Amino acid sequence: MSIWTKVLYAVVSVSVATVYGLTLGGIVRKLYARVHGRFGPPVWQPFLDIIQTYSRRVAVSHGNMFFLGPVLRLAGGLGTYLFIPVIFGSALFSNFSMAGDLLLVMYFVFFGQLGMALGAGQGGHPYSPLGIARGLAQMSAFEVPFSLAVIAVAIQYNSLNITSIVAAQQGGFMHWTLFTNPLAVIAAMISILGMNMHAPFSIVMAPQEIPIGPPIEMNGSFLSILQTNRGLFAAAKLVLFMNLFFGGATNIIEMIVKTFFIYMFSVFVGAAYPRFRPEQSFRFFLKWPAFIGVLSIIYITYLGGAS
Amino acid sequence: MVSPIYILILSLAAGFLLSIIDRGGRKISLAVFYGVLAFNTALIIDWTYRFVFLHAPTLVINTAGFSAPVSINLELGMIQAFVLVFTNLTGLLAAVFLFRKFMESKVSSLILYLLLVMSVNGLVMTRDLFNMFVFLEILSISTYALTTITRTKTSLSAGFKYMMAGSVASIFFLMGVVFVYHFTGNLNLDFIHADQFAGTGLVALFMLTMAVFIELKPFPANGWALDVYQSVDSGIVSVIAVINSAAIGFVFYRLIPLMPQSFLTVFGAAGVITFFFSNMMGLKQKNAKRLLGYSSIGHMGLLMASIVFTIGAPSTVRYLIIGGFFVNHLVAKAGLFWLSGIVRQENIRGWAVLKNNRLLLVLFGVFIFALSGFPPFAGFWAKWEFVKVLIESRMFFVLGAVLTGSLFELIFLFRWLTITVKEDETQLEKITTPDSGSVFATSVFALLATVVAAGVMKYFYNFGWVQTLPAAAALIVYLLDFLPSKLKGFVSLGAVAAYGYYIYPLLESNLQLFFGVIFIVGSAINIISTLNRKNQNRGFYGFLLMMIFSFGNLLIASTYLEFFLSWEFMTISSFLLILRGQKAQRASLLYMIFSTAGAYLLMTGFSFAPALTSTSALMLSIEFVKLPLISVIVLAIGFMIKAGSVGVHIWLPEAHAEAEADVSSFISAILLKAGVLGLLMVAISCIAHAPSFPVFYWIGWIGVITALVGAFMASFQEDAKRLLAYSSMSQVGYVVAALAMITHLGWVSALYLAFNHMMFKSALFIAIAGVYYRTHTRKMYEMGGLISRMPWSYMTVLISIIAVSGVPPLSGFGAKWLIYTAFITKGWYLQAGVLFFASAVSFLYLYRLIHAIFLGQLKSEHQEIKEAPAWFIIPQYIFLAGIMVLSMFPNLMIRPLNSIAMHYFNSSISIEGLTVVSDLGYWNGNFVMHITMAIFAVPFVVLLLLRGKTQRVKQFNIVYAAERPESPETTHVAYNMYAHYRKALGGWASPRIENFWNGVAEWSHTLGDFFRRVYTGNGQTYILHIIMYIVAIYVVMGVK
Repeated sequence: MSIWTKVLYAVVSVSVATVYGLTLGGIVRKLYARVHGRFGPPVWQPFLDIIQTYSRRVAVSHGNMFFLGPVLRLAGGLGTYLFIPVIFGSALFSNFSMAGDLLLVMYFVFFGQLGMALGAGQGGHPYSPLGIARGLAQMSAFEVPFSLAVIAVAIQYNSLNITSIVAAQQGGFMHWTLFTNPLAVIAAMISILGMNMHAPFSIVMAPQEIPIGPPIEMNGSFLSILQTNRGLFAAAKLVLFMNLFFGGATNIIEMIVKTFFIYMFSVFVGAAYPRFRPEQSFRFFLKWPAFIGVLSIIYITYLGGAS
Repeated sequence: MVSPIYILILSLAAGFLLSIIDRGGRKISLAVFYGVLAFNTALIIDWTYRFVFLHAPTLVINTAGFSAPVSINLELGMIQAFVLVFTNLTGLLAAVFLFRKFMESKVSSLILYLLLVMSVNGLVMTRDLFNMFVFLEILSISTYALTTITRTKTSLSAGFKYMMAGSVASIFFLMGVVFVYHFTGNLNLDFIHADQFAGTGLVALFMLTMAVFIELKPFPANGWALDVYQSVDSGIVSVIAVINSAAIGFVFYRLIPLMPQSFLTVFGAAGVITFFFSNMMGLKQKNAKRLLGYSSIGHMGLLMASIVFTIGAPSTVRYLIIGGFFVNHLVAKAGLFWLSGIVRQENIRGWAVLKNNRLLLVLFGVFIFALSGFPPFAGFWAKWEFVKVLIESRMFFVLGAVLTGSLFELIFLFRWLTITVKEDETQLEKITTPDSGSVFATSVFALLATVVAAGVMKYFYNFGWVQTLPAAAALIVYLLDFLPSKLKGFVSLGAVAAYGYYIYPLLESNLQLFFGVIFIVGSAINIISTLNRKNQNRGFYGFLLMMIFSFGNLLIASTYLEFFLSWEFMTISSFLLILRGQKAQRASLLYMIFSTAGAYLLMTGFSFAPALTSTSALMLSIEFVKLPLISVIVLAIGFMIKAGSVGVHIWLPEAHAEAEADVSSFISAILLKAGVLGLLMVAISCIAHAPSFPVFYWIGWIGVITALVGAFMASFQEDAKRLLAYSSMSQVGYVVAALAMITHLGWVSALYLAFNHMMFKSALFIAIAGVYYRTHTRKMYEMGGLISRMPWSYMTVLISIIAVSGVPPLSGFGAKWLIYTAFITKGWYLQAGVLFFASAVSFLYLYRLIHAIFLGQLKSEHQEIKEAPAWFIIPQYIFLAGIMVLSMFPNLMIRPLNSIAMHYFNSSISIEGLTVVSDLGYWNGNFVMHITMAIFAVPFVVLLLLRGKTQRVKQFNIVYAAERPESPETTHVAYNMYAHYRKALGGWASPRIENFWNGVAEWSHTLGDFFRRVYTGNGQTYILHIIMYIVAIYVVMGVK
């Protein structure tokens, strides 16, 4: 396959993921509104928001790094997504997964976060670094159960290659990691609560304390880029979780169904729980979820897992 | 060929005549006085020359026309000549030192002094016990009298205590002589044998030897001696501490053949105890001369122990050990006592006045280094061989006590040195121009120490010039120190290049070459940043070259000793470089203490190791050596101290932070790699010879915990350099952990990260050096928004932190990929989990570094600040170029590392084009780079097209809590940035390890202080101590 075909496929793949991710975002807003006792905006509100911010006459910038921040953020989202094979066996949705394995994806996640943090930092608004400090700290905490879960998966399938991990889960849902290595999935699913930053882990953009946190100075087209990324990045994370723990997907419908439920898990938790204070959040991840992660490794190493 | 008996005759004659000659004027009597001393010295030097080079036989002189035992006979052999050369030389130079005193005092001082020197010569040469007693009495009486040359109340009282103690010893000696005669019917050592003292006869021997031993001031029966050291004039004290001790020590040595094993063991143990406790008590001591007193007593104890415990060793080694301790102690102690006479400051803090006199400061440094047993001085070789002998004869308690005692001594000596160099001297009274005599005497001894050192290296060990190069480089640059700094910088750069050219063909393997690139090329690029230094910048480049050359020498060292020598040169030079930092007193001391503790462990570890069978570099030949378990453990700990592993890391942040800005990069980027190199060597040996206990499994855990603790500590720092220091600790923790796996992929990743770390940490430290140069602060919250003023430095920090963090596409990701793959393949899953955690935490400190300094709000005082000077920018961008090339083509590094590791293991990765494939996954760094560039370019171009809409606003154009802030101080978030995390960690965030070491320090000081209380200052108590001590030894020896 020529590189240009791949690029074309990637464009398609990215578009689908972005649209899907943004729609999910709209559903979430609707859902939260209902929980709060409001009707809420229409499902396509995120698209309207992007058009709105994009069409602003001016975009106020605080400097070159501020300018680059959203760009890096989106690049991070794109990269994360593009290094994951989305649909098992599909050339169209295999993306650039031949560039590297699971470790590459895990570290590319940081690319956008770091870039955004740098851009927001130059904004000069105190809430940006406050939000970033919270975000980085929380990230380091939820990485613990997540990385332990990933290690358990790597042990289980003796691979860090996402495609082979998905391949190993084919042949019925009982082959999913969810059932063969449930402890790892529990640890990972708790950590995705932190990743998705819904309550009780919504400390980074906590509106009542540090209004919307890091992107506080972002506006106009900068904000539109960030909003686009929000959809894409959410989709990327969900696909990764689906691949690692829920048997992957062999077609787009399966992908949408599975990722929808993975996402809804954090949305439901978020709708039901109040927000932690930062230190409560960090401590939370470093205790039980981390312990469950360790157990999952012990389970898979010494007890050989269920299989 | 003049008979040495003329020493006695002439000294006596001059002594009697001086009171008459003095009537003709003091100048004439002084001429005679110095003439006699010079004659004695020359005569003994002549004899030594005959013994050493002409192989003259031992000379026996029979007096009174009869041969022994009817008359007294004297003996002068190689050993006696050796002792006498040093004692007479010290006698002469001490007299030169005392010149002014001798001008002013009564003629009796001159006479007493001559008698003292005469008695020492007699004591060393005589073979007759009674004659020995006579000389001992003359020595004692003349010394008592001389202690009062300065008539202060304390010196008189000290002299009196000395006399009382001496009398007790004399009585015992005389009784011993009587009993010896009773049992053997003879008093000549040539005619007395050990077997004549069986049973009750041991009492005779006990009294005799005990008397001599008491004169050697064993702990705790030595309070009198300390008072003497403290209060008597420096010149005379040097004589007591050196000449008297040497002579009496020699008498003891002479009596050894008579002693049964039970005596020897007890005396040896008493010597070790004395050494240990004196040095421990020295810890609390602030009075310079009393401090030297503790050290002198300690060294005599060490000398006794070395005499006793080396009996089984080959004679050349034995002479090196005893002679080494002897000369080292004698030269350094005399020199330091003389300096104390020149400085005239009681408290060690007062010695800061030395800073005004460069020569004296250098002399002081030489003596301190010599006394602490650093190369190239004699004490170093003696200690090395002594440790070997102790280990061969399995005397581990002695070994422990000697090394711990040495460490105590090092602590107080270096506290003294660092205070002298760093303490503010402006409040102190300046040194009154010292008379040339005293400076001359002191300088001669420093020179002597150096000459002896050179002699040992050349003639005993046959070292080549490369091994001495580090020390020689420091010396040569010292002589060229008048040149401007920049010129010296370029010369140093050239010297490093030439050195690299020289050792390149000597590197037999790619592994050596790899470390050669880190050590030599890395250093050379780092030197560029030092070219920014102004003026003469004295002393800097000498130490720098010394350090760089010793790095290189580590690679080509082919024996344990060569390696250890270079290691110690490296410690000395890096210590001196750190010491140059403005507030580096505590930091450099801490570094020295930990480095030396590490060095002692290395010395022990190497001594346990079996002999090498190959002549190639130690790094390679160690592969074929089976290190015993104990050796693996102590060597590993020793090297991990240098690598800053958790638990023994507390020197690291201090040293990095307090060293000068451009020195820190050397320490972090290069010096720490020496620890890695050492650990790698131990690991190489363990591949084929796995130790019976899984040492490296635990080292792996220590490594990952170091990585985590370092990352957390870095996140909680306010000081940019401390942050980077902890970051280095963390990163080297990864390297250590990866090395400890002892697998192919583990080593590839360890070396990959080591190289990467060298590049990004150099760049970061130099960038921060540039920022410090402009802002004069290291506190990050005092900066902010510097991106607009220092964009080049910002770029460096940006690229470097991405490389540290491991975010693709930069080279750091390669390290992460390799390490995690290696850990999971090895089966170290939980360790990998901890590393993931550490890696995530590293984002905290990296962001803090770049945000607090470069982003956020610019401070008013930094509005006009300039970019860092080009000398800082150039090396940064060389390193950045390296990082970028490595990021684009990671296989440039992975391929050679793969082949290096394949020398030891089967390869676990395959390289297919630009993709690296492991058992678990794959990674194509080049492709990742291209994709990243593409996905960055697309939104970037889109945004650029919209540029027309972009509007730049000024600082403070933000709305914060409904107001527009104006003061950067209230708006810049930097101080205590991760307070919430600290809170979350609770008790885990408290510095337990530092508290632990502080506790250790406090306990040892308190213990030292406690034992010090036996010295009440009361003469009667001291006598009681002596009597009780004699009784105790009597009981312990089991004499019946």
